[in-house]
Amino acid sequence: MIAVEGLELRLGGFTLRIDRLVIERGEYLVLLGPSGVGKTLLVLSIAGLMRPQRGRILIDGVDATRLPPERRGVALVPQSYALFPHMSVRDNIAYGLRLRGVPERERRERVRRIAELLGIAHLLDRRPSTLSGGEQQRVALARALVVKPRLLLLDEPLSSLDPASRANALQLLKKLHGELGFTALHVTHSLAEALYLADKVAYMEGGVLRCVCTPRGFLETRYARPYLEEHRLVEEALREDGG
Amino acid sequence: MSPVERVEASLVLLYAASSLLVLFLLIPLVSLYLRLSPEAMARVFGSPVLASQVRDALATSLAASVASTLLLLVLGVPLAYVLARREFPGKGLVEAVVDLPFVMPHAVAGIMLLTAYGSRGLLGPLLQRAGLRIEDSFLGVVAVMAFVSAPLLVDTVKAGIASIDPMVEAVARTLGAGPVRAFLDVTLPMAWRHVAAGALLAWARGLSEVGALLVVAYYPKTLNILILEYLQVYGLPYAVAVSAAYAALAAAVFIALRRLLPP
Ligand SMILES: Nc1ncnc2c1ncn2[C@@H]1O[C@H](COP(=O)(O)OP(=O)(O)OP(=O)(O)O)[C@@H](O)[C@H]1O
Ligand SMILES: [Mg+2]
Repeated sequence: MIAVEGLELRLGGFTLRIDRLVIERGEYLVLLGPSGVGKTLLVLSIAGLMRPQRGRILIDGVDATRLPPERRGVALVPQSYALFPHMSVRDNIAYGLRLRGVPERERRERVRRIAELLGIAHLLDRRPSTLSGGEQQRVALARALVVKPRLLLLDEPLSSLDPASRANALQLLKKLHGELGFTALHVTHSLAEALYLADKVAYMEGGVLRCVCTPRGFLETRYARPYLEEHRLVEEALREDGG
Repeated sequence: MSPVERVEASLVLLYAASSLLVLFLLIPLVSLYLRLSPEAMARVFGSPVLASQVRDALATSLAASVASTLLLLVLGVPLAYVLARREFPGKGLVEAVVDLPFVMPHAVAGIMLLTAYGSRGLLGPLLQRAGLRIEDSFLGVVAVMAFVSAPLLVDTVKAGIASIDPMVEAVARTLGAGPVRAFLDVTLPMAWRHVAAGALLAWARGLSEVGALLVVAYYPKTLNILILEYLQVYGLPYAVAVSAAYAALAAAVFIALRRLLPP
């Protein structure tokens, strides 16, 4: 279980304030919210890459507030994927295992298994720069998942994919979550991602959480309106086209 | 005049200005080798005394510039990292201090070093107690070279690190790497071209220094100092003979640099 309590992070003129956010073990939480409201700062704080001035972060019962990133057991897939360009796909995925001292033979086996699960086994000897965006995204996901993190942080992981790849990635994420049962915090601007993937939806605005609820519950709130507005416009265009 | 003609007229100007500068830069290189007299060559490199002077001076130049570059790598890469990645109060001031040697006239740089680390300088007594002395010593040559070439190394490496997505290192951290490990595994390999280019630039800059050396450490003589001495004592042909050899070495460095520099 991940718990964020009384978190306060001031950066420049911006303040992030999270009174309480809990992600149960195995839960898939999708975080929505307009641009610049602190979603990425929250993700970085949980990963230990930003130092909040106040508050506590509990990871599986351990107070991780003062732990450096390498001791939190949290894995990150940033929007840019941030693959290691000077390593093969195999070495990218194996990196976390190598640091954990996993023996060579087991390492190979675990890399092979996760690569097969994500359909990238044929790419293992390639360099990241030779991969398509969708392939890079899956490598980043494999690199994060192979270490069996206590929490998987995904910061707009699908936003630079074309619609077909995004739909594929959505299904893949859902399948992976079903099979591996990891705990996830997934930041996105897409209502479709939220509804398809989330056990729970959180919505942020102005540096604070406005609501944490079920996907269905979220649709009832006023925060869902801008997201539904987009769909309404599509429907309207279709109606006008038909009439 | 039609617009097209006007464009052509300005093109002529453009090419004229460009070729003038290129020629101005190229002619000295050609003339150096035209002036090279086999006789003077034979007299310099045939004489056991002079040849060994040149050999010693070259050894001093190479050893000191390599030592200075290694020193700058050890101290300058971490500094470049801090400047590229961290924000802190007074950062602008630190950056100004790092770039200072760049704008200092060379003689002034030498005087500054003397007042700071010379035996009668600010930290002279302290250094003396440690048995260190910069006046007319190999250490002094290294100090001078490191001083004048530090900005080149730090700025080049800083630009390289700044161009790397910080999230790459961040991901390495979350996967279990401590800060040093993440730097060595990820940032350094990604910035190696800039590190190599910075080191080569710093090396070449150290090798070419003469002004501050005249002030701080005339001895042990570097090749630059020896060339000046030959010019004064034996005349131009001798200076040309040594310079021609040195220019060839410098050109080799330059070619290596061009191949390493990021396109
Ligand atoms: N390093 C920084 N220094 C100063 N301010 C920052 C820094 N990083 C972020 N901010 C500010 O903090 C606020 C929150 O930024 P954050 O990146 O968390 O937004 P976000 O919700 O992730 O937005 P988006 O959906 O566009 O990714 C913004 O106003 C941003 O300008
Ligand atoms: Mg963001």
